[in-house]
Amino acid sequence: MPQVSPGSGVADERQRKLLRGNEGMTLLEVNDLKTYFKTQEGTLKAVDGISFDLEKGQAMGLAGESGCGKTTAALSIMKLLPANGYIAGGNINFMGQEMSKVTGDRLRAIRWRDISIIFQGAMNALNPVKRVGDQIVEPILLHENVEEEVALRRVKELFELVGINPNRIREYPHELSGGMRQRVMIAMALACRPKLVICDEPTTALDVMIQAQILTLLKNLQSELELAMIIISHDLSVLAETCELLAIMYAGKIVERSSAVEVFSNPQHPYTKGLIAAFPNIKGDRKMPASIAGNPPDLIKPPPGCRFAERCYMVQDVCNKEEPPLVEVLPGHFAACHFVKAKG
Amino acid sequence: MAKDLLTVDNLQVWFPVRRGFVESLTSREQRYVKAVDGVSFNIKEREIFCLVGESGCGKTTTGKAILRLVEPTGGVVRYSGPGLDDAMMKEAADRAVAKKLLSKKDAEGLVKEKSLDVRSLPKDKMKLLRQKMQIIFQDPYESLNPKQSIYDIVAEPLVVNSLGANEAEREQRVAKAIDDAGLRPPKHFMWRYPHEVSGGQRQRVGIAGALVLEPNFLVADEPVSMLDVSIRSEILKLMLDLRDKKGLTYLFITHDLSVAYVFSDRIGIMYLGKIVELGPTEEVIKNPKHPYTKALISVVPKPDPRMKTEKIILKGERPDPSNIPPGCRFHPRCPFAMDKCRQAEPEPMYVSQEHWVSCWLEMGEGKS
Repeated sequence: MPQVSPGSGVADERQRKLLRGNEGMTLLEVNDLKTYFKTQEGTLKAVDGISFDLEKGQAMGLAGESGCGKTTAALSIMKLLPANGYIAGGNINFMGQEMSKVTGDRLRAIRWRDISIIFQGAMNALNPVKRVGDQIVEPILLHENVEEEVALRRVKELFELVGINPNRIREYPHELSGGMRQRVMIAMALACRPKLVICDEPTTALDVMIQAQILTLLKNLQSELELAMIIISHDLSVLAETCELLAIMYAGKIVERSSAVEVFSNPQHPYTKGLIAAFPNIKGDRKMPASIAGNPPDLIKPPPGCRFAERCYMVQDVCNKEEPPLVEVLPGHFAACHFVKAKG
Repeated sequence: MAKDLLTVDNLQVWFPVRRGFVESLTSREQRYVKAVDGVSFNIKEREIFCLVGESGCGKTTTGKAILRLVEPTGGVVRYSGPGLDDAMMKEAADRAVAKKLLSKKDAEGLVKEKSLDVRSLPKDKMKLLRQKMQIIFQDPYESLNPKQSIYDIVAEPLVVNSLGANEAEREQRVAKAIDDAGLRPPKHFMWRYPHEVSGGQRQRVGIAGALVLEPNFLVADEPVSMLDVSIRSEILKLMLDLRDKKGLTYLFITHDLSVAYVFSDRIGIMYLGKIVELGPTEEVIKNPKHPYTKALISVVPKPDPRMKTEKIILKGERPDPSNIPPGCRFHPRCPFAMDKCRQAEPEPMYVSQEHWVSCWLEMGEGKS
């Protein structure tokens, strides 16, 4: 039997801590972040005013269709945007530092040491002519003033941590399977003991069985090492299994944000409802899931009102004219729709 | 009862492993990658049969071998769809007898049943037959030529098969196929290029390309796995619609059990070149018998954080089809493996009228 969560209104202790908690230190604070790209056709507003914060040891899922800006948001945090991309507004505060002001050596010190990232299809990003162990030793030596021997010992520990036999550090990437290579990438991301790991579609290219292995691994690592994580995926079911917080993005905006349990049990935004309904559930009835007709809007000329209006089943005049603000529907539960009622 | 459109019996696709010079001198035995190693199933008319398994289990190779896009090395594929001409059936039967694939009696029986042995068709006739049997590929981002317009992509099968008397007729057939695939109005899409349309629309172009020849049977190889979840069910619904309107029959290949669950009529679970369990979809998913099926079902992510279910995570990864373990091929990863499993391969056993499984546990071994 599925465990039923405490009802939407009554949040238990843990829930409250999760949503409001000021006890833990806020690790990452993203405030009204805007990331635009210069293109030949005009300015593309890939991320257009998103806000969230993340505490030490929390895992947040960032969900949305391809092209909704979820990867761009992650790249903005790491300051890894391509040449034509720039942060047009808002701020990113990581451990008390304003990321927009951090440059040069200080930025390099933060990357990998404090924040690391696992890219989509990362297992194909390993250097084919270098031994996998050496590829992990490299960032450790770059970032920390340690002997190679110490670094090598740590790589062995990391291998054990992610479930690969430490004797395999002298192997080349082609000698490892896809799942193994993904584990190597995770080990590499953890090499300098970061506080925040961003995983961009960590299991999309993997088989179901390997996916389950990797998701379990990520979850265990997160609780063992008190890691904060941002997991990006278009697959809500993957996020449901790994994250405690969930943010749904659509066309450059966060349309709903709360704890994962809240979002699934009490979705407010029509887009969230649509996404959840689009999943076939192997434990449920055998019926064809619903789909969301239409395509996301052009982000060079986004519509003036709600960006989801064109595909929304409950669209009214107001939706095409005014943009709905992100309001707090329930404590810690935010949604941006004209038809949700703010609390109180 | 609908009759069988396709029967696959003990299909084998073995790829020889290339040997080095020294190796061939030391006369080590020729080794094979046994991608498909004795697969049998049948698909009824208007049925959706689904093959599920991990990557490398041979499900795609099975689909391709049926269309002879890779040549099978053993077994029989029989096709008995409408629109076969007598001469073709006769020729296939004669060649099957000549190649000693079938006995004379069986071959004559086939002709009488208006079906033919796909493997014995000569290449030029195979081309004709493929008008009835088409395939949809996995990745709509890579399977469409970016330099061709959608019209050219969809018209290509007509050109290859010299169909359509003139350009006007071709255009009409292409427009109809594009319309059938749900890209409306066709005029709006025909002259665009693949990069100008979305992922879901690209997959519709792939489907239109398969439909333009008006086939009876489609192999759909992971048609939705590259697509966003929000548009997956649109494509699945389109495929269901096409079955109802055009009487299509599908072999659906996927690694995603939850898609198979909502879409298919019957499921075959493949492991390392063999089907280990086969039955009506609902029965297999709700009442799985093989330990591999149970494990696969348990690891499907549930779209709800409130559902906590026990996961059976198998150790190890994709096994090596060039080195298939003796006995039950699943035994090195099976949590219930017994001595018997290491020694002999289990035969299929029916657990209900249409549901069978190959596992020693189900055959009463190990129970006292």
